[in-house]
Amino acid sequence: MGIADARAMYPAIEIVAEDVEADRRLLEALADWCDRYTPLVALDGRDGLFLDITGCAHLFGGEEAMLDGLLASFFEQGFRTRAGIASTPGAAWAAARFSLPGKILQEGDECAFLESLPLAALRLETRTIASLESVGLRSVGTVLAAPRAPLARRFGAMLLLRLDQALGEVEEVISPRLPVAPFSVERQLAEPIGLIEDIERLVPQLARSLKRDLERRGEGARLFALLLFRVDGAVTRIAARASLPLREPVAIARLFGERLAALSDALDPGYGFDLVRLSAFETAALDTPQADLGGGAVAASEDVALFSDRVRARLGRTAMLKPLLAESHLPERAASLVPAAGDPPERKAPDAPRRSVDFSPSRRAPERPLRLFSRPEPIDVPVTEVPEGPPLNFRWRRAMHRVARAEGPERIAPEWWLHGKPEVKADEIGKDEERREAEREEAEREAVAAETARTTRDYFRVEDTDGHRFWIYREGLYRKDAAPRWYLQGVSA
Amino acid sequence: MAPSAVARETIASLRHQIAKIEGRLAERLDAGLEGQPEHIDLVRHGGVPSGDLLATGAERFDRALGGGLPGAGLTEIHAAGTRDASAAAAFVLALARLSLERTNAPVLWVGTTESFREAGYPYPPGILFLYGMDPSRLLVAQAEKLTDALWIAEQAAALDSFSAVLLETRGNSAHLDLTATRRLHHRARDAGHPLFLLRQAAEPEPTAAPFRLVLRSAPAGLRQILGKPLARSIGPPAFQVEISKNRTAPPARFILEWNDHARALQERAAENPVPVVPASQYGTPAQAAAGTLVAFPSSARQAAAGHQPSGKQHPAHRRAG
Repeated sequence: MGIADARAMYPAIEIVAEDVEADRRLLEALADWCDRYTPLVALDGRDGLFLDITGCAHLFGGEEAMLDGLLASFFEQGFRTRAGIASTPGAAWAAARFSLPGKILQEGDECAFLESLPLAALRLETRTIASLESVGLRSVGTVLAAPRAPLARRFGAMLLLRLDQALGEVEEVISPRLPVAPFSVERQLAEPIGLIEDIERLVPQLARSLKRDLERRGEGARLFALLLFRVDGAVTRIAARASLPLREPVAIARLFGERLAALSDALDPGYGFDLVRLSAFETAALDTPQADLGGGAVAASEDVALFSDRVRARLGRTAMLKPLLAESHLPERAASLVPAAGDPPERKAPDAPRRSVDFSPSRRAPERPLRLFSRPEPIDVPVTEVPEGPPLNFRWRRAMHRVARAEGPERIAPEWWLHGKPEVKADEIGKDEERREAEREEAEREAVAAETARTTRDYFRVEDTDGHRFWIYREGLYRKDAAPRWYLQGVSA
Repeated sequence: MAPSAVARETIASLRHQIAKIEGRLAERLDAGLEGQPEHIDLVRHGGVPSGDLLATGAERFDRALGGGLPGAGLTEIHAAGTRDASAAAAFVLALARLSLERTNAPVLWVGTTESFREAGYPYPPGILFLYGMDPSRLLVAQAEKLTDALWIAEQAAALDSFSAVLLETRGNSAHLDLTATRRLHHRARDAGHPLFLLRQAAEPEPTAAPFRLVLRSAPAGLRQILGKPLARSIGPPAFQVEISKNRTAPPARFILEWNDHARALQERAAENPVPVVPASQYGTPAQAAAGTLVAFPSSARQAAAGHQPSGKQHPAHRRAG
């Protein structure tokens, strides 16, 4: 019925535009809240959730108590929900939607339950339902009674699949919306906590329980997640990454200590957290035995990797940088400082002989400055003697420098093979194929040459009268019409 | 002379305060005036207590420092201006290279974003060229705020898995006061590696570092080709180091160069002269009359004779900037 009809029937009706995104976000928030029962939560359509509570029911006092508690909590939050428990997802779906609220189906009762339900209980397409009804099959019982092969031939394999799934003859797996941790430890708190210190005290206790499982398998984890469930339903997830597999509670606690210190303002405990869960992802073999940290005193000989993990946990990914050398002539590409990615460092035996790479003075690369600016700074060169020679003086950062000595030039051309051919327009009308091709190639060559000439750099090492040494370059070859631009890219010792 | 009861009381309370700052028990502090039996044997070289020392290789410089720079502890290095920051960094990297020789552990360079933007980021091929330092041995840490950079340096100072830690900051700040530097010094000393505090554009202020060096750039020597110096070339870098805070000797100034083949710092020798007024490469003696250079070989002789120029006469004080 249209909006006009509805308004005519009930003038005070309130019409709100549908916001699919907001609905989905709400559903995801509810799914987050259901995480406290089981991490295997999946979204179902636009208004449903699947929870796999295998083995969890006894923690909440049995299936009945769990269902009642769940429905009560949702009701208190203001939602009207229907729920059902069964041993197959299909039967549970039907139980939730087509029966009294709070239906629990025992194993083996699915057939009897489903027989009396309409066809919509089977999660079929409307088209299939319409064609089934047109043939006279109106309830699930009648479909079950009909022979299978003609049904498949006429209505497709999906019908039989849904039937088998509902009855439990074909395994249906719910894929949870968030990755499931191989190990996790959770603690229900009688009194909700809100202070960072309390959370920090809780982490090593949880990590100790985690350590037992990890130790049994001889593994450590590289990614830890701390989930804090608020009493009113919001879930906070804090992740900490380590470059080496960890399982020592003290090390894990230190990592989370930094993370919590960095997040202390953003963490909003509301009325408190009443469930805390520590999960370990990305397990990897941990073969080196870690030193026993007895007595609570932290050992001073911590690895460089743990140190950089803690710095990254506190200050972000870009806090630790390491040099990355590339095969390039351009100085800014030849070496750059990239965030140290937190990969496990290469193992070096402590008494391994020094690497046999030759770092002797005569074998090193061309002379380069000690420090490079992130962007070349433009300098003002009033006069050079010869167009292609070094400057006599230059102005940098508003100070005039007089050049005493200069070495150079070193010519570095741009890497045309990487930057692609510049855009070329070829006149297409009235020329035959060969000539067009030749002209296009000629135009491309010229464009590349022009680009190269424009951005070729001539580098000079200059020393000024005070003894400072700079690395400056002139961009572009000498042109009669325009003065080329000069830049200062690095400073040397 | 036996200290009176009041004096003993004052000393005891001061020891407790210092111990609280350092985070240790008061009884474990170094043996004080009362000579509590601690069984720490103190070794002295030429009257100066020596511990783990980093000898740079330049004899007179090392002698003025009492054997060398502290191989475990804080050294403060000032760059006289922002433009001298690269010279200061080069000097510190030379020292880091020397300590890298002893242990093959990484070197950590901590700085604030501001200091890296003003003076430039470390360029690994340049470091490789000048010092032969493997780029994989260098780690750089960058923080937005000075407090974060200080935190990183404090955490790194406590580890013994670095061969040297460099903390580069800009300007003066209340966070780098006596207590913070004392904390850095003691952590580095306990861990057994040097920590260099590199300050750009800062006024000298009291810190807990045993030594303070002020660095300036000096004109480089000439390249040696086939044993003969090549005229008008820019050779190995040189620094003018002034020891401005020294426990053992009066302030002194030296010109040091890095000798790559010997892998040590050395003082500029007389046979490696620097052209005082360099002629331009292309023939016009335009800046011949500039004359702001001081003739260095004579000042080295002056230093050898013991007459150090007093601070007031330093060209930096004469210059307007």
